[in-house]
Amino acid sequence: MNEKELQDAARQLPRSIEPPQDLWPGIRERIGRTKAGEGGRGRWDRRVIWIPLALAAGVAAILLLRPRGETWAVQRVAGAPRVNDAPLGASGTMRVGQVLETDDSSRATIAVGGIGHVDVQPGTRVRLVRAEVTDHRLALAYGGIHAKVDAPPRLFFVDTPVGTAVDLGCEYVLETDSSGRGRLHVTGGYVEFAWSGVRSVVPVDAYAETRGGRPPGVPYVSDAPATLVAALDSFAFASGGPPAAHAALAAARSEDAISLWHLLSRVDAPDRGAVYDRLATLVPPPDGVVRDRAIVLDSATLDRYWSRIERIHFRIVTLRGVRPIDARTGLSKE
Amino acid sequence: MSSLTNAVVLDERVVRARGGDEAAFESLYREHTGRVYALCLRLSGDRGRAADLTQDVFVRCWEKLGTFRGESAFGSWLYRLAVNVVWMANRGDRRREERVVPVAEPDLHERATRDATAGLGIDLERAIATLPEGAREVFVLYDVEGYSHEDIARMTGVAVGTSKAQLFRARRLLRERLER
Repeated sequence: MNEKELQDAARQLPRSIEPPQDLWPGIRERIGRTKAGEGGRGRWDRRVIWIPLALAAGVAAILLLRPRGETWAVQRVAGAPRVNDAPLGASGTMRVGQVLETDDSSRATIAVGGIGHVDVQPGTRVRLVRAEVTDHRLALAYGGIHAKVDAPPRLFFVDTPVGTAVDLGCEYVLETDSSGRGRLHVTGGYVEFAWSGVRSVVPVDAYAETRGGRPPGVPYVSDAPATLVAALDSFAFASGGPPAAHAALAAARSEDAISLWHLLSRVDAPDRGAVYDRLATLVPPPDGVVRDRAIVLDSATLDRYWSRIERIHFRIVTLRGVRPIDARTGLSKE
Repeated sequence: MSSLTNAVVLDERVVRARGGDEAAFESLYREHTGRVYALCLRLSGDRGRAADLTQDVFVRCWEKLGTFRGESAFGSWLYRLAVNVVWMANRGDRRREERVVPVAEPDLHERATRDATAGLGIDLERAIATLPEGAREVFVLYDVEGYSHEDIARMTGVAVGTSKAQLFRARRLLRERLER
């Protein structure tokens, strides 16, 4: 089996498999015992056991989650990176509050606790903000980083001048200048980029632009039409308003559903119906998603729609070059 | 028309089973056992264990029938119950295993299962069975069973983000393993 046939094969696995033998006799015997009345006894005994166990678990949790080691290892890759203005040798460490800087010909790699690493590109200034078990945080003042994290979501954060990139299990490149003008490119998994109450969820093979003093832009896929990207840019950063939004709707394909899903919650209320209708044409909503709930931005409705959209997007990206995928449904066209 | 008829028949069996009618419950078992067994098999990755878990699911179902209010199809309710039963069993097993597996080798189970299947012309079902437990659960529920991340979060108690990360991990591991 070709690895790229994975998703199709998973959908075609049989939903029902008969057990190797009839299990009913064993079940009948056990429910017979249940009917005889085993429930309810020993409740107090169980409580006596569970109370000290719960206390022990609480102590263990405190020990596990307490801050440990506030330094991260740093390696010089090229040139002469500096940590707090001191030249970095072949390797060294960064403490919380310290700054790593690279000039135009320098590169370095930061080990993010035990959960991943960050390649620091030339011309970058980055500060270690927190090094805790539940909060690994850098602040990128300017320049670029390539982050790869293999950990549960929301353990690794990068603050930038215009928001915070939150790792959701991913790999990405984040570039910004000191004014906040930059771009996020996700190459694996998902990244959430949030600022001032506005959130973009950027999946693999998608971009989000950033500009100083503005919320993150509407994400778009790598092969999005130039007219769509321009319309989204105008909408997010140039006060393009409803005309820019409608230009985006006209330019969008089914492959661009992640953009329209984000646009739905960014446009003013009177325009949401048009965005929803276009999105529903491009990617029919799953069961349980109805227009009335979507245009009032009901979170459960939007989440359910997003699950469909990101699933199709993942199949398109994964099977690119192997087999054509219908961007409306996520099914193979072959 | 036929689906309406089936719904009426199903409701009657559930109501009768709630009242202690074993024959009605056996009828429900006969209808749903294949789906429940498939779910248990894929979530556990072990045939013998899947049979035990299937029995556990139906016993648990019998005990919990009084809480089923018909807000969803009986099958949907049963499969969610099955996920919960397997999930609880897996967690119990993992806790027991963690007592004897050195912390310094967190991938021991992963490597062991991978080595055991190397060179066998591994197919998708086998590859799924070799996934680490959390990744396998999410892959089966999301990609095979079609649940959303929100459903999975509700059923298993993990965060939506964790479910997404596990799915990403599962797909990556499957691609790697099916590549060999």
